[in-house]
Amino acid sequence: MDKPRIGMYICWCGNNIAKMVDVEALAEEMASLPNVVVSKNYKYMCSDPGQDLIMKDIKEANLNRVVVAACSPRIHEMTFRKALQNAGLNPYLFQMANIREHVSWVHTDRAEATRKARALIRAAVTRVNHHIPLIERAVTIHPATLIIGGGISGINAALDIADAGKKVYLVEKSAELGGLASHVVEFYPYFDKGDAVIRPLIDRVEKHENIELFLETEVKDISGYVGNFETAITPKGGNEVKFSFGNIIVAVGLKPWDPSPLENYGYGRFPDIITSWEFDDWLAAGNLSKKNGKLPKNIAIIHCVGSRNSKYHEYCSRICCMVAIKYANQLRSALPDANIYELYADIRAISKGCEELYAATSRKRVMFIMFDQEHDLPEIIKADASDSCDMIIRVKDTRIRKRVEVPADMVILMVSMEARQSAKEVSHTVGVSLDKNHFFIEKHPKLDPVATTTNGVYIVGSCQGPKDLPDCVSQGRAAAARVLGSISRGTAHVEVTTAYINPALCSACRMCLDICPYTAISFDESRKVSGVNEVLCQGCGTCVALCRTKAINIQGCSNDQLMAELKALLLSDAG
Amino acid sequence: MSEFEPKLTAFVCTWCTYAGADLAGTSRIKYEPNVRLIRFPCTGRIDFMFILKAFENGADGVIVSGCHPNDCHYVCGNFHARRRWIVFRALVDFLGFDIKRLCFSWVSAAEGTAWAEIVNTFTEEVRALGPYNEYRDMDGTFTS
Repeated sequence: MDKPRIGMYICWCGNNIAKMVDVEALAEEMASLPNVVVSKNYKYMCSDPGQDLIMKDIKEANLNRVVVAACSPRIHEMTFRKALQNAGLNPYLFQMANIREHVSWVHTDRAEATRKARALIRAAVTRVNHHIPLIERAVTIHPATLIIGGGISGINAALDIADAGKKVYLVEKSAELGGLASHVVEFYPYFDKGDAVIRPLIDRVEKHENIELFLETEVKDISGYVGNFETAITPKGGNEVKFSFGNIIVAVGLKPWDPSPLENYGYGRFPDIITSWEFDDWLAAGNLSKKNGKLPKNIAIIHCVGSRNSKYHEYCSRICCMVAIKYANQLRSALPDANIYELYADIRAISKGCEELYAATSRKRVMFIMFDQEHDLPEIIKADASDSCDMIIRVKDTRIRKRVEVPADMVILMVSMEARQSAKEVSHTVGVSLDKNHFFIEKHPKLDPVATTTNGVYIVGSCQGPKDLPDCVSQGRAAAARVLGSISRGTAHVEVTTAYINPALCSACRMCLDICPYTAISFDESRKVSGVNEVLCQGCGTCVALCRTKAINIQGCSNDQLMAELKALLLSDAG
Repeated sequence: MSEFEPKLTAFVCTWCTYAGADLAGTSRIKYEPNVRLIRFPCTGRIDFMFILKAFENGADGVIVSGCHPNDCHYVCGNFHARRRWIVFRALVDFLGFDIKRLCFSWVSAAEGTAWAEIVNTFTEEVRALGPYNEYRDMDGTFTS
């Protein structure tokens, strides 16, 4: 590499930076730093003229390093890297100093702010001397896809990919496709028959020439990286099957919670207290009678059982309010004379058509009673022989601020939805982390909701948090589009700032093998040294800090780069 | 002595605290100008030798800040950092190092206010402690 020739640019960001930082004085001062050839300040570095300034200087002043002091690198690092690339310079011979978010917008004293900006800029200039060109690498994408979970989200993803002519391996843990949605008799808010919605999809999956289906099968281990994954599974009663695939879609869904810990609701103690999911099974069987064979006269539906409760699940389970309102409608049709009570904490009637259904339901002789979910839960007790009902629900109606007693012969508990036990195992298998509720974490909650931080792995449906049917379908099909896009491109870029091991320094302790969250490090038995698979490595650097012989480093975030930055940062402040 | 302003270095994870500090900026939350950030891919990347190097080069206090437990972008780097931190802190404490000059925190990308509060509190604490000349004098290269 030639001797560094650095171009240094300080951005005014209009007045955002310039009003609090003496940009002109700093630009003049930086010109005297070693290897700085050009030092300029400009109104908007990110604008086209700003970028042109850099590109022109690279060519005319023969620059081989660039520093821009401006906003956060999280905003414009890519912009300037592209400018370097357009001017024929490797985009990694670049460093940014954040003098807007970390300086001009948060400090009020111009002298102090300028002092801090000086330190940050000097550190960036010093560091860039140690930068080296990094080569972006691409890997080819295997056109097959593995989908884990055959619920409504997984099915929709599978069909879109298979219809586009690409191979899908669909692995489902249970004996049936369709997941929880296949237990639903009618869907809110329009009362479409569950079978009519789900059955045709399942039939198509089962007959599809591009879908290889494995029921009662689990994926235990996946090796490889984006574009080139491999697994071996053992289908029930069959021999081990090995196959390769380029992308993974996780669609393992969630499960209903067992409400037994909430003793006030008496689940398991009284015969006619059932969960919401059990009620759908009753509906499917067409039998609404109590255990003693008689039809119930008073039916209570209790909301938020285990949801929105700091002791059980802090979050809202998303679908239960509307399901409960749907039940009131189904019950009203089946039992025109019954008394129907909805005991709720809050009604969350979101999504199209839902508020309308809620309003219509309240006109069907359904009584809505609001209780305090945090401090005063309803309690179910056995009724006296003199009462005309089996059970009594004691509840404080928060709207009239009075304790009331609600008669009940049947109680439906709208139980919360929680992550499956297997979520943790699956998360390790695919290398995606879980949040505190054991839901899979998306790459960006708003802008990238089906991707993950692991390249080539997508998460869809309620395994990332409770969802209703349309959301699951949208996510399944969104992930299918992403996967098809990646297959169509044929290649994927992999992280460039990756770890590497100097074999001369490696002491073969192998501690890095265990610490790597991506199993990117393996041990070469013949040479007795460890090595990093650059495609698997995500550049976290945990192994670098671990290595006791300092044999591991990261290109693009190396010890010498960081040390140069640190020393300059403090030295600049010394005066 | 009344003029003393502490020099604070912060080693932060780019996915959480660095972004949290950016959010403090976009929200125009004002805080003490004493801290300078160095961006790491993950707190798991932080070789704790950097902390000693910071003191050697004139820092009066060091902040290490990363993602809340279970929120690590790289699955578990913050847990490794936490474990190292516990050992490191106990070790340097035993060796006579003033551990009041070390601050470890979890600040997410959504916690701009928390970041400003941590910087303000720690600046105030280190300001009260005064310059860390004892450490720099150890090898005789610095004089107070």
